[in-house]
Amino acid sequence: METLPDSLTTPLVELLLSIADDKLILGSRNSDWTGLAPILEEDIAFSALAQDDIAHAASLYEFVAQLTGDRADRLAYGRQPEEYRCAQLVELEDGFDWANVLARQFYCDHLDELRLSRLARSCYRPLAALAARLLAEERLSLGHADGWISRLLGSTEEARQRMLAALTALAAPACALCEPTVGVEALESAGVYPPAEGEMFALWSGAVAKTLQGAGVRLDLRPPGSEYTGGRRGRRSEAFAALLDEIAEVYRVEPEAAW
Amino acid sequence: MGLSKARANPPDPSAELTLPVEGDMKTYEVFTQLERGKPHVYAGSVDAADDRMALLFAREHYGRDQECVQIWVVPRSAIIRTDYERDLVFRLTDQSYRFARGYNVGEKWRAFMSQKEYVEYKEEDIKEHF
Repeated sequence: METLPDSLTTPLVELLLSIADDKLILGSRNSDWTGLAPILEEDIAFSALAQDDIAHAASLYEFVAQLTGDRADRLAYGRQPEEYRCAQLVELEDGFDWANVLARQFYCDHLDELRLSRLARSCYRPLAALAARLLAEERLSLGHADGWISRLLGSTEEARQRMLAALTALAAPACALCEPTVGVEALESAGVYPPAEGEMFALWSGAVAKTLQGAGVRLDLRPPGSEYTGGRRGRRSEAFAALLDEIAEVYRVEPEAAW
Repeated sequence: MGLSKARANPPDPSAELTLPVEGDMKTYEVFTQLERGKPHVYAGSVDAADDRMALLFAREHYGRDQECVQIWVVPRSAIIRTDYERDLVFRLTDQSYRFARGYNVGEKWRAFMSQKEYVEYKEEDIKEHF
């Protein structure tokens, strides 16, 4: 399918914004670490991976903008907080604790890999082509997160304890990552967002558990209840407004500027 | 959270630029290839905890600012090398005739290639074969 039926535009925008907003906010939070990561090599690698997340967000905003006649910059920086669709996990301040950052990245990358794999099989071909490109890069980021998590869990007792503490502390907001976006069922039945080989929460928690298992760790991950509404429905945490003010500062000076 | 040790103790700028390896990290040498079939060229080194991490660091450090088709990382410890002080690499007796210099062939070669006879010969040769 080369063009999208009108009835699917809104659900697809909801879905793509949830991915793009996760990546924009995560990439912005991670960019705070430029110059501060625990070793020099990681500093450069982590900053480069943050740029990947923001680049992914940019191409998804561009895709949405073409669907709705909007502008990517406005989508990224010009919406009201409740119009964002990111999960609350990415908004939280990491307290400049490296274990928190890795746990957050690890949880997010596993979900992104699943979401992009599904989109790469979309019957809406322009979307499948974009998702396939993003997926190839996403796997690098996932390898990075998995590598660090396994390494630290298998390292000294202090490293293991700190990594475990962060994984446990972020487990609840991480489980909310899989909150479905509005109208996603229509996209699934139309093949625009083909169903996965199972339920998303089960796949995500299974993938997370597999890496942790390698390090001898079991985490109790439970899906939020069916009535749960969170980040995907626009519920923002307190940390969000301050972050948006910061990243949108330049945009707001001259919203119509062409860069 | 402390800053990386590398920043806390910057190296003496007049000395060779090497830093002590931290913890259980090892040093890997990195080679990049810019085009398939072309040689892999030494790019620099990274410190990493294991092979996979070394490849990831190398990719992010050396593979992104230029179009790069392949990266090699090699543990520095795997490289067998000569010693600056102990090992003789170059010879001590005068064998300067081995240097590829002093032969002014460039100009002669260009003159030969542009000769009328040669150009004609080449054209004939191509005609005969194809």
